[in-house]
Amino acid sequence: MACSYRDMQQLGDFKLPAFFNYPPYFTLQPVRDTREKQVQLWKELILDYCRTQKIFVIGLEEEFPLFSNPVIERSLSNEAREVFLSALVSEGRAEWLDKGHRKCLILWHRIQDWADIILSFAKDNGLEDSVTTLEEIRTGIESRGTELHGMDRTVLMRALKLLEHKGKLAIFKGTSADDEGVKFSV
Amino acid sequence: MCAKVGVDTLASNKGFWAELLGIGDFYYELGVQIVEICLATRPHNGGLINMQELCTLLRQRRKSDHEAVSEDDCLRAISKLKVMGSGFEVISIGKKKLVRSVPTELNKDHNQILELAQAQGFVTVDEVERRLSWTTGRAIDALDTLLDEGLAMIDDGHRDDRRRYWFPCVSSITSSVGIDT
Repeated sequence: MACSYRDMQQLGDFKLPAFFNYPPYFTLQPVRDTREKQVQLWKELILDYCRTQKIFVIGLEEEFPLFSNPVIERSLSNEAREVFLSALVSEGRAEWLDKGHRKCLILWHRIQDWADIILSFAKDNGLEDSVTTLEEIRTGIESRGTELHGMDRTVLMRALKLLEHKGKLAIFKGTSADDEGVKFSV
Repeated sequence: MCAKVGVDTLASNKGFWAELLGIGDFYYELGVQIVEICLATRPHNGGLINMQELCTLLRQRRKSDHEAVSEDDCLRAISKLKVMGSGFEVISIGKKKLVRSVPTELNKDHNQILELAQAQGFVTVDEVERRLSWTTGRAIDALDTLLDEGLAMIDDGHRDDRRRYWFPCVSSITSSVGIDT
């Protein structure tokens, strides 16, 4: 078979799956079973990519590298992007940040998972019954090497609010205008 | 009665039936692996896989095996599967052999399109009309059926704006596409 185009193997240090180089996967498939398979593959790819690259928000109209393969000259239409992201939203792995569905928050860890990670972090660093700040949690020295490092503020706040709701901590206004204090009571 | 004659039914029957059905046999095991691979790749290729790709996937699976698997071995294993009424079949299209694991009935028109697709992995309606001297209706009918059966996928992304119908079964997208073998 004469179809030997170069393959796009990597996006930076991320290894791309083989389906990414098969042109029809960039067109929304009309047949139900084929569409289901297509959606499943793209959902997994989006989550994997965002997880390894620590991407929290995807802007549909922006040039998100995962949505194009320049080697085979194919790009996902806006409709396709919305279909795949909506599928992630339906299973609780993403949320639309605006009514127009132009920005999508990717929860490669669910909020509950982040909450668990924060609790473990607090225990590992002896933060029970002590006070810290949001910024400390996500950029402080202790956060280095953990998944919390460089985490998105919005997601962190959501996880903290969940924990607050469960009585595991209290959030209060910090000393600086754009930071919040967190008191653990684990 | 067996006890009277002093025959241990379990022991002897096992060997007897096993030999008849080829259970525990190299080809039986191969057949099982072929079935698994066909099932795993079905969402991608609609239940039709080309022999080359099947053999490649089999070899990948049996990496630790010292006995290499030839195409002949595959054909033998599949013919045994056929005997067991599994619906597996090897069909020849153009220069290729395809293994069919679903009861899809392909007629001459479908086969001709599959043969045409072997050159580049896809066809366009124009191409089908031109090369096979068909009407547009006949071409679209056949392509739509192949699409519905999951044997074809559409591609509207080429800059020439012409829809392409791709056939995974004539391509080799090995170690790909969600195959958990």
